[in-house]
Parts: sequence; C-alpha cells; structure tokens
Amino acid sequence: MYIILGIILGMLVPYLVRVVIGPSVWDRLLGLNLILSKTIMIIILFASIMGTTYLLDFAIIYALSGFVGTIFMALFLSQRNIQKGRGSK
Amino acid sequence: MIYVISYIVMGLGLAFMMFGILGIFKPGKDFYYRILVACKIDTVGFLTLAIGMALRHGFSFFTGKLFLIVIIMMILNPLVSHIMASQAHKSGYVPSCENEDDAS
Repeated sequence: MYIILGIILGMLVPYLVRVVIGPSVWDRLLGLNLILSKTIMIIILFASIMGTTYLLDFAIIYALSGFVGTIFMALFLSQRNIQKGRGSK
Repeated sequence: MIYVISYIVMGLGLAFMMFGILGIFKPGKDFYYRILVACKIDTVGFLTLAIGMALRHGFSFFTGKLFLIVIIMMILNPLVSHIMASQAHKSGYVPSCENEDDAS
C-alpha cells in the first residue's frame, strides 16, 4: 500500500510542473483540479492504511468543496476576459 | 488471494493515471486536448483504484463510504472539466498552437 501511496505522491510533481509552466491561466486551473483529485486519492489510501473510516469524511467534504472552488475560479476567469472585450458572446 | 487481485487492480489504476500524465505533457497540443485527456483518465484511474480498495476491504463500512466518494467523483470530475472548457471557450481563449493541429 505504501508503494501505491508513494507513486501517487510522486505523481503530484508533474501536475505542479504543469501549473508552473502552463502557458495560460486555464492550464494552471487544470493543474490545480488534477492536484485536487490526487489529494482525494491520497486521503483514501491513507485511510485504508490506517484502517479507520472517519478519514473518508474528509475526502467527501474536500471533494465537494474543492470542486466547487474550481468551478467558481473558472467562472471568475471567464468574466475577467469578457470584461477585457476578448469574450465571444 | 483477494489481496493479490486488489493490488493488481490498484496497479492498473495507477497505470491509467500514468497515461494521464503523458497526455498532459504531449508537445504541440493545446489546452482543450489536455483537459480532455487528463480529466477523463483521472476519473477512470480513480474508479479503478476505488474498485481495488473495495476488493481489499470486502463488504464493510469502509467500502460503503468509498462508494459514496466514487459517486461524487464520477459526477463532479467531468462536470468541472466541462465547465472549465466551456468557460475557456466562451471567454475567447484561443490557444496559440491551434493552427498546428489544423496543419497536421
């Protein structure tokens, strides 16, 4: 189990690289979204290793609030571009 | 025996996620290609990993909660990637290397 946990932790680095070098803001948002879902997997794996089930509640709440946050970030970014007159109505 | 199967299924899930990383760093592709590949493979990888975990824990309280998380992820992950792509398109984001795709 620790190997799988280690591999997923190692997988966070490419997403972080994508967030840093992403040519546009949207690539960075995509990287954040992927890091979010990887974190949920890490929480679940950790709960399985520890053998407890109360950690899964964190994963549920984190999944819901994280995704809602990403949705509003996307909405904010699109509004900002539209105000600059680049938006296609 | 069931432990071996669950490890194999979890390894399969990890293999799917590795391809997701390849999809992100493919040269010459724009944002829309990346978001399609990454979020789709991410969802499948998560599903496979969850099935492996469910096999390992058998029919228990852990699997019940895990099933709830799988439902949430199956609904939310595609939803969020769709919203990102549609907002990016609506706000007039045209990736610079798009004409490359038309050429190839």
